[in-house]
Amino acid sequence: MMKQIKTLTKLQLQNLYGLNVFRYTKDKKKKQKAIGLSVVWALLIVMIAGYIGAAVFGYVYLGMEEIVPAYLIMLASMVILAFAIFKAGSVIFQENAYDILCSLPVSQTAIVVSRFLRMYVENLLLTLLVMVPGIVMYGVIVKPTLSFYLIGVVVTVFVPLIPITIATFFGALVTAISSHMKHKSLVSAALSVGLVIAVMAFTGTMSTMEEEFSVEMLQNMSEIVTQAIGDIYPPAIWLSNAMLKGDILIGFLCVLGGLAAFAVTVALISVKFHEICRGLYGTHAKHNYKMEQLKKTTVLGTLYKREMKRYFASSIYVQNTIVGPIMAIIFAVAVLGVGLDTIQQTMEIPIDIAGAVPVLLAGIFGMMTTTCTSISMEGKEWWIVKSLPIRTKDLLDSKLLFGLSLFLPFWFVAVILLIIALRPGVMELIWLVLLSLILIVFSQVFGLTINLKMPVFEWENEVDIVKQSASAAIGGLGGFVVILLCMVPVLLVPAEYSSLVKGALCVVFAVITWILYQKNNKVNLQELDAR
Amino acid sequence: MLKINHLTKHYKGSNKGVTDINLAIEPGDIYAFIGHNGAGKTTTLKCVVGIHGFDEGEILINGTSIKENPMLCKQQFAYIPDNPDLYEYLTGIQYLNFVADIFEVSAEVRQIRIEKYAEAFGITASLGDLISSYSHGMKQKLALISAMVHEPKLLILDEPFVGLDPKAAVILKDMMRELCENGGAIFFSTHVLDVAEKLCNKVAIIKDGVLIASGNMDEIVKQGESLESIFMEVACDDEAN
Repeated sequence: MMKQIKTLTKLQLQNLYGLNVFRYTKDKKKKQKAIGLSVVWALLIVMIAGYIGAAVFGYVYLGMEEIVPAYLIMLASMVILAFAIFKAGSVIFQENAYDILCSLPVSQTAIVVSRFLRMYVENLLLTLLVMVPGIVMYGVIVKPTLSFYLIGVVVTVFVPLIPITIATFFGALVTAISSHMKHKSLVSAALSVGLVIAVMAFTGTMSTMEEEFSVEMLQNMSEIVTQAIGDIYPPAIWLSNAMLKGDILIGFLCVLGGLAAFAVTVALISVKFHEICRGLYGTHAKHNYKMEQLKKTTVLGTLYKREMKRYFASSIYVQNTIVGPIMAIIFAVAVLGVGLDTIQQTMEIPIDIAGAVPVLLAGIFGMMTTTCTSISMEGKEWWIVKSLPIRTKDLLDSKLLFGLSLFLPFWFVAVILLIIALRPGVMELIWLVLLSLILIVFSQVFGLTINLKMPVFEWENEVDIVKQSASAAIGGLGGFVVILLCMVPVLLVPAEYSSLVKGALCVVFAVITWILYQKNNKVNLQELDAR
Repeated sequence: MLKINHLTKHYKGSNKGVTDINLAIEPGDIYAFIGHNGAGKTTTLKCVVGIHGFDEGEILINGTSIKENPMLCKQQFAYIPDNPDLYEYLTGIQYLNFVADIFEVSAEVRQIRIEKYAEAFGITASLGDLISSYSHGMKQKLALISAMVHEPKLLILDEPFVGLDPKAAVILKDMMRELCENGGAIFFSTHVLDVAEKLCNKVAIIKDGVLIASGNMDEIVKQGESLESIFMEVACDDEAN
């Protein structure tokens, strides 16, 4: 069994981040691209490490050094959980090579464990990114004992285990339920999004409890933060105590509990592995079609329909892009329910954000657009578009139209709720509608621009594109960041110039969007993936 | 109908590809393209249909350059790759409708053509199922029907007989003959040499990216010889030596 796990894990890790392709490809362009991308990632890593180091420095400076390990552990765990919960099901039950594996004498447990270990290694790197700069900064300033570092190493290795186990359990549960349904992808997406909203609501409740405590505990910020971390993620406190106070027993029990949870999860999944895979990848053919009257559709119409079917056929694509619109509705409902002031107070935002609501709304939609991965999602079927007489403009318009038609109903509902809640004046109403709309269109066009610049057609799992591609990172987050940057002038200028600034933003982003749109339409599709 | 002049295409960072390919496919031709694995057949076909760019030379379809006016060229041909990866999230009929929409085939005409070819290949009952449920052969049949839905004058096929059952192979050969009798042309790669010999009037043999023989089948395959023996002689001489 161990030998099988070792072999399968090696196979899983061999092409992690495209390393094997990079090693053996003879395509110089591909190598240059990978090197360029590595430089971007290296810069990002340096930036994140810098941020972590600065945050730790800040805590120590404020005399809150005892919360640093717990803060680092919780930060790493939450980030891992947030990323893994959407992709765990896809990774554990990946279709790639399923038929071959089934025909080989390998156990289901070995397959599940190897796929779990792949996620573990990926997330261990993420943990190191958080823990190493944090511990180094802490060590330089506080100068703890050697045992802090030794236990810190063990804790760092252990940190990814619990969030991955939780994500795997729920990911497998969602996949198992949806595998029996007719519309697997839609059910899976709905369950995953529902799960995330439930988790958010749960942590929200926890933070409300903390608010109640905070009145009595205002004198001791460390206690407040420790309590908050403990409420949201108790293992962070237990492991932190092991590092700081040498409380090894509780740390050991925590590690043991994590390993037990992992073992139980793997055992449960292993038992049902083939059944779930059969449900997911088994096909149902009715074989009873009778020719009906066929209808003609325009080229754009048929491309739009294809885009829609492609989207709803992929649960990971739906999950990743529908969160923004749902969050927008939740935001609008919250504003309507408790008022913007209460939200500001709860989130401890020191300035009045009422004027920035249009930008904020667009920012929530811009978190992850459909377009920033829609070219890459063509995958191995890209030859069809390339060999058929399809104009670039028609193809890109269909992707844009679909992205907008998905977002705009949510936007419309959110705007109506915000109008009822905020009762804006005429000008504020105009900006709420116009500015948010222009920024949403911008984020979709921007996503497409980025994906046209860095498309990837050779992928094994949709997760690679939707969650881990450079295009998803830059096209999705980039658009989001650009929109959030607009908040700066909106929030800083005096109220009498508010309309002027928003009007200027409308014009600037309308022009940028138009330029990008025109530029995109001039892209020669034949040159994408040119070899 | 199709002219390939001095086509040279090398993959970046690799010495694989094709060099100085010259071919002319006339109306009525069924042109076989043969060579060992990795010889450059698929590369050539992909250049012809605009999937791959190329370094030198020109490709003309009815006098129009695929580089300069790809839209006009693509309106005139249909292409099927060796492994037809189709949109698995569509049903068979949705895929055929999609291709018919792209070629702007009227509802009445597509109805007649799809009925005719689907019936011939025996997959009418499966057209309502998702393509993901199709076998390789069924996908191949669906791709062939989609290729015929706009009745192109030029068919470019990469290994079209792979995965087809014997009956479908016979139907495909009949379809190819019919298209050529009506003034169309077919350029296809194959490893099935006896089919190529019986079906085609012209043949080209490629080896290591270079065309080593091309022309009329009866000029290349002399009396008493077979295409197989010629192929073994000219394309596999290194291994023989």
